[in-house]
Amino acid sequence: MYQTSDIRKGLKVEIDGNPYIVVEFQFVKPGKGQAFTRTKLKNLLTGSVLDRTFKTGETLEPTDIEEKEMQYLYEDGEFYHFMDTGDFSQVAITHEVVGDAKNYLLEEMVATVMFYKGNPISIEVPNFVELEITYCEPGVKGNTATGATKTATLSTGLEVQVPLFIEQGEVLKIDTRTREYVGRVN
Amino acid sequence: MSAASTRALSAEGLRARARVLRAVRGWLHEHGYLEVPTPALVPSPAMEEHLFAVPAGDHFLRTSPEFALKRVLAAGLPRIYEIGPCFRDREHGAWHGREFTMLEWYRAGAGPDEVMDEVEALVAAAAAALDVSPPSTWRRTTVRQLFEQATGIDLATAIASDLSEHDEPWDDAFLRRWVADVEPGFSGGLFVTAWPASQAALSQVRSDGPWPAAQRFETYLDGVELANGFLELIDPTEQRRRFAASNAARAAAGEAPHPLDEAFVRAVGRMPRTTGIALGIDRLVAVLAGWEGIAPGRVEHPAD
Repeated sequence: MYQTSDIRKGLKVEIDGNPYIVVEFQFVKPGKGQAFTRTKLKNLLTGSVLDRTFKTGETLEPTDIEEKEMQYLYEDGEFYHFMDTGDFSQVAITHEVVGDAKNYLLEEMVATVMFYKGNPISIEVPNFVELEITYCEPGVKGNTATGATKTATLSTGLEVQVPLFIEQGEVLKIDTRTREYVGRVN
Repeated sequence: MSAASTRALSAEGLRARARVLRAVRGWLHEHGYLEVPTPALVPSPAMEEHLFAVPAGDHFLRTSPEFALKRVLAAGLPRIYEIGPCFRDREHGAWHGREFTMLEWYRAGAGPDEVMDEVEALVAAAAAALDVSPPSTWRRTTVRQLFEQATGIDLATAIASDLSEHDEPWDDAFLRRWVADVEPGFSGGLFVTAWPASQAALSQVRSDGPWPAAQRFETYLDGVELANGFLELIDPTEQRRRFAASNAARAAAGEAPHPLDEAFVRAVGRMPRTTGIALGIDRLVAVLAGWEGIAPGRVEHPAD
């Protein structure tokens, strides 16, 4: 059981049979009345956002969310397989749950897998990953200032825009939140 | 302004605070208000059920200077103010601190509209001190109108279950909707008048309108509650009754009753018709400076 004074960004709670995470909160005490905490909550299953206002003294239910650091092993066409680096147990995760993270997953990479009531519901990859270019047009020397770009295909199949001087085979640092090229890794 | 943080203490924040304080004191002095310091240590904290005082030995830290200032009014000083620290337990957040700086001023003979005019002028003086624009418009409107616009519900006829799906008293249901659905739509300068009589606190209640309305106004600036004004209650019998009712509610909620301040109740009976107002200085600075909370202008202990 959580009290309203426990409400923080990132607190995970169960509401109407769904897991939610607090994304925003504000303590408010209008004029001469009771104090309330206004919250914005994100549904961890659907991503939809809910506004809820809790009166001081009301309680919030904890939710059965567990996060584990897991190593990505391989993909078999149907599932992505991950291993718990602690007890070596494995879990198979659907394409749907892996979602956008598939663009950044390389074998042996460690990602954070979130479980709700024991079932995997989402994967979080590091903010920055390093991926090799498997294909791009040859580099153009000296053309660094124009801001022109070309498309590069990375080892995971992800395509990003890169400056013209970049060569095939180079390793790039990619921001997984924006899907953008950050720089070369030397 | 510079690129100083809008969330954390900064030198720029402290300069902004000092400029606003100077401007506010200057404005009050020019308008004939006398600064009257009263004790922060008080025998009885505020009456309201939802205020929690910090105990200090056999006294309390004041939740506001209201009781002492009303004794000064009753003694015959018609225009007085105080700026100083007040303390309210169980209040914390981006716009709240357990200790905060309150300005209260009292004007004998004035009604709420005259003091609302003064709030507009005082905010403009504070804005000028920061080289920012004051709100371009100020609206004066009732709780009932704002509530109906936001929710479609007429408060004059609504019962608690019309207002909230929670099983709770009318006041809580009303405030839950107010906080969730009405307040977030506020912008600019706004005076909210005619509060439900159950939330009168120390204001007079008039019974000649569509409902018994407290002669109280809440001032909002860009959605932040800034100041609370009263046409002050001057009936000691009613004052005594409200103290008893608040203490009964406090006891029912398992909280300790607050001692009755007899000197204050006697003073209420000697006060002239007066409008008084309490304004949060930390918030005034923060809203005018465009901060995301009161922190940039306040020195706090790291653990608080």
